[in-house]
Amino acid sequence: MTMTINSPREAIGLVLAELGSEVQDLVVITADVGRATRAYTFGRKFPERYFNVGIAEQHMISFAAGLASAGAIPVVCAFSTFIMRAWEQIRNTIGRMSSNVKIVGTHAGFSDYADGSSHQSLEDIALMRVIHNMSVVVPADVKDILRSLPVIVKDVKGPLYFRVGRDYSPSITDDYDYEYRLGKAYIVEEGDDIAIIAAGPVLLEALEAARDLKRLGIKAAVVNLMNVKPIDERTLEKVARSCGRIITIEEHSVLGGIGAAVAEVLTQKYPVPMKFIGVTGYGRSAKNVRELLDFYGLNSQSIIKASLELIKL
Amino acid sequence: MGSTLSCVEILTVLLRKYVKITSDPLSKDWLILSKGHAAPALYALLAENGLIPYEELIKLQSLESRLQGHPDVMIPGVDMSTGSLGQGLSFGIGVAIWIKSKGGSGRVYVVMGDGELDEGQVWEAMTDAARRNLDNLTVIIDCNGYQLDGRLSEVKPKHYMPLVWSVVGWEVFLCDGHNVPNIISTLDEAIRVKAPTVIFAKTVRGRGLKQLEGTDLQRVE
Repeated sequence: MTMTINSPREAIGLVLAELGSEVQDLVVITADVGRATRAYTFGRKFPERYFNVGIAEQHMISFAAGLASAGAIPVVCAFSTFIMRAWEQIRNTIGRMSSNVKIVGTHAGFSDYADGSSHQSLEDIALMRVIHNMSVVVPADVKDILRSLPVIVKDVKGPLYFRVGRDYSPSITDDYDYEYRLGKAYIVEEGDDIAIIAAGPVLLEALEAARDLKRLGIKAAVVNLMNVKPIDERTLEKVARSCGRIITIEEHSVLGGIGAAVAEVLTQKYPVPMKFIGVTGYGRSAKNVRELLDFYGLNSQSIIKASLELIKL
Repeated sequence: MGSTLSCVEILTVLLRKYVKITSDPLSKDWLILSKGHAAPALYALLAENGLIPYEELIKLQSLESRLQGHPDVMIPGVDMSTGSLGQGLSFGIGVAIWIKSKGGSGRVYVVMGDGELDEGQVWEAMTDAARRNLDNLTVIIDCNGYQLDGRLSEVKPKHYMPLVWSVVGWEVFLCDGHNVPNIISTLDEAIRVKAPTVIFAKTVRGRGLKQLEGTDLQRVE
């Protein structure tokens, strides 16, 4: 893909439209958010393989499971928060049957900054993570989407939740040349004083914090945990052993998200002091994503503060 | 058990006369027991069709058997894991669309309960199916008149349902769900229609067990 794309949803639409030619059984399903999620970029090109079921998220999920059982390769695209109203359908049909359905939740985290708390998805990683058979992927930026989504659609069998934002997507991983593989965590910066583990656009905050910490003489490793589940236990244990302290940051509730996923592994493999940076409670409206990240303390300053506290311990 | 007995004839007719089972998802017929709590009736028919051994039936719901309290795709002949109400029709629509778009010959039969029509997802699904020309989809509603807490008329009346489905765009049929020739002639007629079809089959809960018939009892004491 050569075009310049700077929005996650644009990237989703374009990747799916491109994959449609190659993957003949690819179908895209949406619930009256074809334009908002850019699923319609696929729909315009392949109208016979594009299903807009109306404002009906529960139906959308079970319908996708039916398509998968009959042999199609369905990708569901809708707002992350509203997909969660079909949690029980995802659990009871897609999860229990291990249906080959990919669920793309857009507008996640604070990316839908203006619409406020009803639209801001801060619990989806937790809700999807607990479903047996479900994989959970949280790309950091457009480049991460471009490197992972084609692999996921073509080569990964079984249910997978793919969490992206709306438009906010600073370019973060352009300079890193890892290849995508489900279940892998990527150490994007090496360091041995502290490890900062992030998923999603807040990976940028982690990298900025690491740069600033270096000026203070603290070498911070930074891990892109885009594969939240299955989780890369070996890499997590490795950074825990080499750094001895861990900060996690996520555009999500501190309950059940990235921090919890890391802690679940490390408390059993190699316990080290940790701090979770994330959201407590619901979101609110603002003028842009940046304002919200700062308002809720999801920024490099919070990481630096938490790092210094941990190092002092 | 009462709601298993109310759909025995419906499932017998479907699985002994209509549903062709092959391994090809596009040419086989699909039977989705959306009212998954009638699983024992389905399992009996799967045994009758040679898909599971008769001896396994008595082990229903035991750790030594695959036969779960509600249908599960690990059981040969089960097309969808059900048990949570209101999801079978959506699933069936997904299957039926893919069969049609691939030019397959398979038909999709979804068996639902009348109480199940309370679920909001049924509305989401039936309004979606109506505009997709799914002439390979037939829903049979086992109208035994009861839901978990009692009579439909007491818990939540649904007498208007045939009218609702008809207005939405379904071809609606009524039949006696215990009269085998009547079920067959209605299904034959439904299959010929070039639209999604729904059959409201009037049944008696607990049919065949006098102590259960027409009551909300779960089992013979």
